[in-house]
Amino acid sequence: MNRRDVMQSFGLGVIGLSPSLFPRWMPKLAFAPHGQTANRDVLVAIFQRGGMDGLNAVVPFGEGANYYDRRPTIAIAEPGNGDESAIDLNGFFGLHPALRPLKDVWDAGNLTVIHGAGSPDPSRSHFDAMEFMERGTPGVKTTASGWINRHLQTASWQNDSPFRAVGMGALIQSALRGQAATLALQSISDFHLNGRDDQLAGITSTLASLYSVAAPNDLLQREAAQIYATMDILRELDPDNYQPSYGAQYPDTEFGQALRQIAILIKADLGLEVACVDIGGWDTHENQGGANGTYAGLIGEMGQGLAAFHLDLTDYMSGVTVVTMSEFGRRVTENASEGTDHGHGNVMFMLGGGATSQVYADWGGLATDQLDDGDLKVTTDYRDILSEILIKRLGNNAVDRIFPGYTPSMHDLLTAR
Amino acid sequence: MRISRRTFLKSSGASAAALAAGSVTWLGAHPAKAAPNSPELHVLNRATWGITPADIAEIQARGIEGWLDWQLDFENIADPEVGKYLQRKPILNSDARGIARAIDRDYGSVHEALLWGRVHRAAFSTRQLYERAVEFWTDHFNIPSPDLLMEKILDDRDVIRKHALGNFRDLLLASAMSPAMLIYLDNIFSSAENPNENYARELMELHTLGVDGGYTEQDVKNVARALTGWGIRDGWPGRFYFDLNVHDYGEKSVLGRTFPADRGIEEGLELLDFLALHPSTARHLATKLLKFFVTDEPPQSFIESTAQAYLVAEGDIGATIRHIFTSAEFYQFTGAKYRRPLDIMVASIRVLSPALDVSDPEWILWELNPLGQMPFHWYPPDGYPLAAAPWLNSGALLARWNFAFNMARSDEGWYEGVSFNRDLFIPDALTVGEWVDGAAAQILGAPLAGADRDAVIAFVGDDNGPDFEIWDEWREWKTSSLIGLLLSSPYFQWI
Repeated sequence: MNRRDVMQSFGLGVIGLSPSLFPRWMPKLAFAPHGQTANRDVLVAIFQRGGMDGLNAVVPFGEGANYYDRRPTIAIAEPGNGDESAIDLNGFFGLHPALRPLKDVWDAGNLTVIHGAGSPDPSRSHFDAMEFMERGTPGVKTTASGWINRHLQTASWQNDSPFRAVGMGALIQSALRGQAATLALQSISDFHLNGRDDQLAGITSTLASLYSVAAPNDLLQREAAQIYATMDILRELDPDNYQPSYGAQYPDTEFGQALRQIAILIKADLGLEVACVDIGGWDTHENQGGANGTYAGLIGEMGQGLAAFHLDLTDYMSGVTVVTMSEFGRRVTENASEGTDHGHGNVMFMLGGGATSQVYADWGGLATDQLDDGDLKVTTDYRDILSEILIKRLGNNAVDRIFPGYTPSMHDLLTAR
Repeated sequence: MRISRRTFLKSSGASAAALAAGSVTWLGAHPAKAAPNSPELHVLNRATWGITPADIAEIQARGIEGWLDWQLDFENIADPEVGKYLQRKPILNSDARGIARAIDRDYGSVHEALLWGRVHRAAFSTRQLYERAVEFWTDHFNIPSPDLLMEKILDDRDVIRKHALGNFRDLLLASAMSPAMLIYLDNIFSSAENPNENYARELMELHTLGVDGGYTEQDVKNVARALTGWGIRDGWPGRFYFDLNVHDYGEKSVLGRTFPADRGIEEGLELLDFLALHPSTARHLATKLLKFFVTDEPPQSFIESTAQAYLVAEGDIGATIRHIFTSAEFYQFTGAKYRRPLDIMVASIRVLSPALDVSDPEWILWELNPLGQMPFHWYPPDGYPLAAAPWLNSGALLARWNFAFNMARSDEGWYEGVSFNRDLFIPDALTVGEWVDGAAAQILGAPLAGADRDAVIAFVGDDNGPDFEIWDEWREWKTSSLIGLLLSSPYFQWI
């Protein structure tokens, strides 16, 4: 090769992808209207970071003074008092008015509410409580993996798609950590390698070699291999032109966009089995607000996002289960700053094909002698809820390995597939 | 057709095959590829934000202990680049009212002065170990900046930077009296009638004893009571104020120690000193310092010796850090720390300077979002994670690669405000082999070897072998990709 040859090659532009790394496999993507052929649901696990105030999400207005006297500035009015009052579900509990979008899901029979749910561990530390919940072993810090990862490991099937388990965000959620490979995604459209166009093929294959992606030898190399497998497929997805179905409108927030991207992955049938999404900001120690204000904005964003997801995936929802959780609830009594401090029992929501619109609560009430150190008791272990999902909707009976040392109770909250 | 899993598996390349369940066993966190390290380079890797030729010259001239003592005595090291920055951004040395007024006028530029100040000082300060200590305490006493910008600027300057290599007792007290902390963790709302436990809990769990430090829920409540009245006052922006009227004057017991009734601010001062020198605090701080400077899983013996050094020095931070860097155990952990995203950015800037010139940092700062570590933007009080596991994921790794190639191409007119003189950076070389070896030594501290060297040489030399003679246009053509590859390689991620 002489100098002239090299100079001539400068202007070539995109050379194309190296065949050894990227076979010329370019299927056309079409979003199929009925994508679910597998006999298990896609699980979407939503974590509300900071400790959601469940008593204002699903308001126990039937408690009367036990609720209203303790929350003089932040309480949600009983149903029937206009737009700013609770939305009645069953004559005792009602949704926060900002959760109105979820009422449609409820009316469609696809929303289950569990009150007094949570982790039995008494920790009021955000970090301990989150780790305990996500590892699935309350009180035990030495558990090396997260409960969702153990589900992936113990499932009777194994799925080799790089999209099998996706965590939305820059950091992977603790529930997903462990032996089974997972993918952290911030944005589908940005998931590609930058570099000079005329050298991208060479850069791509050289970097693959530096990271030994053909035979990864450490955790970092495994992540690199994951990148290559993922880039291959995402190139085809064209997420920027994605149109949600049925006019669904996701909130233009990180949370809303995360749900939108999960919907794209589900519709593309890429082998997604579990997705984790976070929504933060729930640590409402001060100026929480009632029907309006900080908390209302946050719970409204969540309700709007979930409802949009539900609508967008109308034709898929029989094969999708969404579950929400938060590390702990908040004190029954508001504090001097018109907020709430760290509490205990909380609300979990489930949406999806298996959900049965009901409020489940082993409800002791809010009378002082019924509280746990001033907090709503945890009367339903969150692992019961997750176990029911695992068994009835995800086809995995190995709950003794997913939640070691725990024997779950079934509460008949879901229909089986 | 849609992409079916089966089709995908059959047709996708080697990378997907490697991911197939069963073929990936549980791999240890220890890196398969890391650059070789001498003891001096190991110290520099952990005690600076990225090694430059000047650092190597200093440590060779002074020896490891001499270099540590020089760096620990940071106030006697001239710091011209930081001085210039502070001259350009006087807001960072302004008083509370001045900062507040500037924020009212232009919140964005004040915030950028603080954020870029973090990156700039890390990259260009001669007081490198001090800047590492600042980073450690910034996470330890984490306070996000967006909602508390004025108070955060004061906290960064008068708490963290003032005491980063001083005594932990002073640091803890300054933090407890810092308006940013008092607001962020709600102590301003705490009163005898309605104690707010938020600060009290994090004070013990995060700042001092550690979650397993042996305190109870009752201790949390009593610490909150002891610190009632610690707050701020309307009209006194950025200043601590002790409110006699809301303080709880009752007797309290904390960790078995009685704090008698009828005392005001002095019981809080005594309490903080008691917590600062508690053996649980010593172990907690030792563990975290070792995670930051040495390894994600420090051995118990190293934790104990470091905790002991801390107690003997009565909270002296410099002496504790000196113990770490002069312990034989430190030298067992070369190449085992995964750089955090800000470390990646700053180390990139350091190895590319002085060929790199940043006149407007907006684009570079923005890159910290996909990388996952915008300074002062971690919202929970525990600070950005110290260990590798939370940072090790595909999306974040791809962001590192893209940042590397973006930086290397910043002389191609992609980014206003950033210019990079490639010719200044990579020396002339006659052959591809010399060129790649020289660039690797400059960026990674050592030439590549084996298959990795072959792969890079094959790419930048178009498969003509290491002895292929290159010329200016050739280098011009491939330099940015070569730099990008080295900055994105595993050798740059592990130190």
